[in-house]
Amino acid sequence: MRPIAPIILKLALALLLLVPVGGCGFKDIDKRFFVVGTGIDLSGNEEKPYRLTIQLAIPSPKIEPGTSKFQYETIDAISIAEGLRMLKAYVDKELDFGHCRIFIIGESLARKNITSVLDWMVRRRDIQLVANMAIGKPDAASVLKIKPISEQYPGNALLLSFGADGTESSYNYAESLSGFSRRLTEKGLDPALAIVKGDKNKGYIINEIALMDKQKIKLVLSPDEAQMFNQLASRFTKSSMHGIYRHDGIVVAINQLHSRFRIENQDAQHLIKVNIRMKTVIEESSSSLMEKDLKPVEAKLEKSYEAEATKLLAKIQKANVDPLGFGLRYLAMNPGEGSWDNWQRIYPDASFKVNVRLIIEGTGLIW
Amino acid sequence: MNRYFFYLFLFVALMNIMIFVPHILNDNRFDGSVAAILISPIFGSIMIYMFTNALSRFPGQGLPEIFSQYFPRWFTTAYMIFYAMMYWFSSTVVAMAFAVLINRFFNPDANVLIIMSIIVLASGYAATRSTLTVMLLIEIIIILNVPIILFIIFKMVTSPQLNLDSIHVVANYVWHWPSLASLAAATFIFTGYINLSLFNRLFPPNFRFKFLWMYPILGLIILLVTFFVPIGFHGSQGTAQYIYLWTITADSLMMQYGFIERVMFLFLIVFLNLSLVYTTAAWHQAMEFLKGCMPSMKPETDSPKAPISNYVILGIFTMASILYMVMVNENMNLAITTAWLIIRMFTEVATVATVFILSRRRLMPR
Repeated sequence: MRPIAPIILKLALALLLLVPVGGCGFKDIDKRFFVVGTGIDLSGNEEKPYRLTIQLAIPSPKIEPGTSKFQYETIDAISIAEGLRMLKAYVDKELDFGHCRIFIIGESLARKNITSVLDWMVRRRDIQLVANMAIGKPDAASVLKIKPISEQYPGNALLLSFGADGTESSYNYAESLSGFSRRLTEKGLDPALAIVKGDKNKGYIINEIALMDKQKIKLVLSPDEAQMFNQLASRFTKSSMHGIYRHDGIVVAINQLHSRFRIENQDAQHLIKVNIRMKTVIEESSSSLMEKDLKPVEAKLEKSYEAEATKLLAKIQKANVDPLGFGLRYLAMNPGEGSWDNWQRIYPDASFKVNVRLIIEGTGLIW
Repeated sequence: MNRYFFYLFLFVALMNIMIFVPHILNDNRFDGSVAAILISPIFGSIMIYMFTNALSRFPGQGLPEIFSQYFPRWFTTAYMIFYAMMYWFSSTVVAMAFAVLINRFFNPDANVLIIMSIIVLASGYAATRSTLTVMLLIEIIIILNVPIILFIIFKMVTSPQLNLDSIHVVANYVWHWPSLASLAAATFIFTGYINLSLFNRLFPPNFRFKFLWMYPILGLIILLVTFFVPIGFHGSQGTAQYIYLWTITADSLMMQYGFIERVMFLFLIVFLNLSLVYTTAAWHQAMEFLKGCMPSMKPETDSPKAPISNYVILGIFTMASILYMVMVNENMNLAITTAWLIIRMFTEVATVATVFILSRRRLMPR
């Protein structure tokens, strides 16, 4: 009986596990700077084209509105990765992108070419693919430097604007990094990003959408168009629409909306049929609707919505972008070689038919 | 007892993510992967049926015992050594893929060799235990982890980010004839049954394999999820650019009210568990096959004390794995794994056919 050998073996194994502890690259949380917002702009300088702005959270014991503290670092560099490397010389703690959920691209850069920026983001292992992307107007740095007075902890205000936790705005178009990078590569599905503007340095306005081709901005949608675009894209959050019935203004709140499209081929003319069903409640009406049949009101509202939607779709078509994925649907339905070339020929001449079924479920609490 | 067969099937099917199956399938997505996915359940169910049917005539016997009854010693020995190497290799690939993943996503500053050493030491020690212990270990890990995997897959499939049009575009390429690599990758999902070549020792006489119809269906579902979910998330063109496809897909999801927002970490932890148990099970089998070469060795499934030979063999495996990692870089690893998948497919067909014929011969009166 020699029980000593296994014991020595076990001890040796346990000691062996201590070996990696020394080589461990772990850094404590108080030795890290958490980046909560990243902005990338064009600097205007030919030699160092990119201007990188990072927003660093400073931990604070208090969590109450207006107490969030930041540090900003800005640098011009030839490439983003090099700029970041250089920024490490400016700060005392390790930069950590693991909590960065907001990436803002300056408008001037977005109008030029964003592919290299995106390449950097997708390549970095610590950047979350669920991070939100947006375009900053007039530039990313100025948007990041806004300090909303209601903000509770660093970087939270902008994040709440994009997620569904806080405000649910029907004008905002939240796009994640993974969704955006998918749209940059996919044939027949073009990217779109929300545009963030500062509101006199105390808040953000996010009510425009930039439609892009695979490289840069092609078309900017106004707030009204942006809302309708969100509805067409089924990125629906509770929204409203305005209509006129017998010279009286009516506003209905849309509670439910389903949008579907189909591509039909009729006598060599391609027709993109968009079917929208929505359930609404009247929110505002300048005349009483008591004892009135709501059918003609519905019909009137449907007509005006159809006209506006067709106009918007034609405008998007004219810019030759396809953020709703008509092309992808065409590829899916028409397999085979040359299908993509066909679509590129078809799309500029295709006509749209929007079919709206609007149901007024009630008139609110009064008639 | 049928559940043990189910576990053996399931944990190999889930391991496909670590052994580059999604990567190989996605590389060939426009030439033949879809057809390979549809062909492989047929292939898989034929193999499963033949193998279980044959083994039910050899109750309580593993492959080494069956072979040594019918074939000359040199052949059995050679075949067992080859078999052990195949098993050793698959688990080394898994362990290495995992060490690299941990290095990339958890701790980029650590030395990847140290991570690898810890993984192989843990698995190596676990593999020295008895066959029954390893089987029970598989059961525990499966029961603990599969609910989480189901949760992640449920979240992915119901996510609005999943674009059905992209999936449809790729599915349209169904009429392309599959390449050998994509077929080998797709059939890997169904390869769990081959673990019976050792674990059959545990099954009692008069044991009947039931619910065999379930395995092709289950395998097909896993295969479809493995292949199409990343395409739905990253688009028909975008999937090709990612190296760690499934990790990245898990990272595209968010658990808003989970303890950790990034699904990726949950995903990695679950697959770390599965990889460890896969390595353990594969090395245990490789070890038993090697021991089966020696004439004096009696198969034991539940020995109270692990013999010294276990430690020696697994020590060699562990060293060899670390050595493999030192010598091979990631690109070579992918090429070698692809080759391994193809060789595995043919080895399997040969093994199953041999055992099947042997089982029929046994019925005939001498």
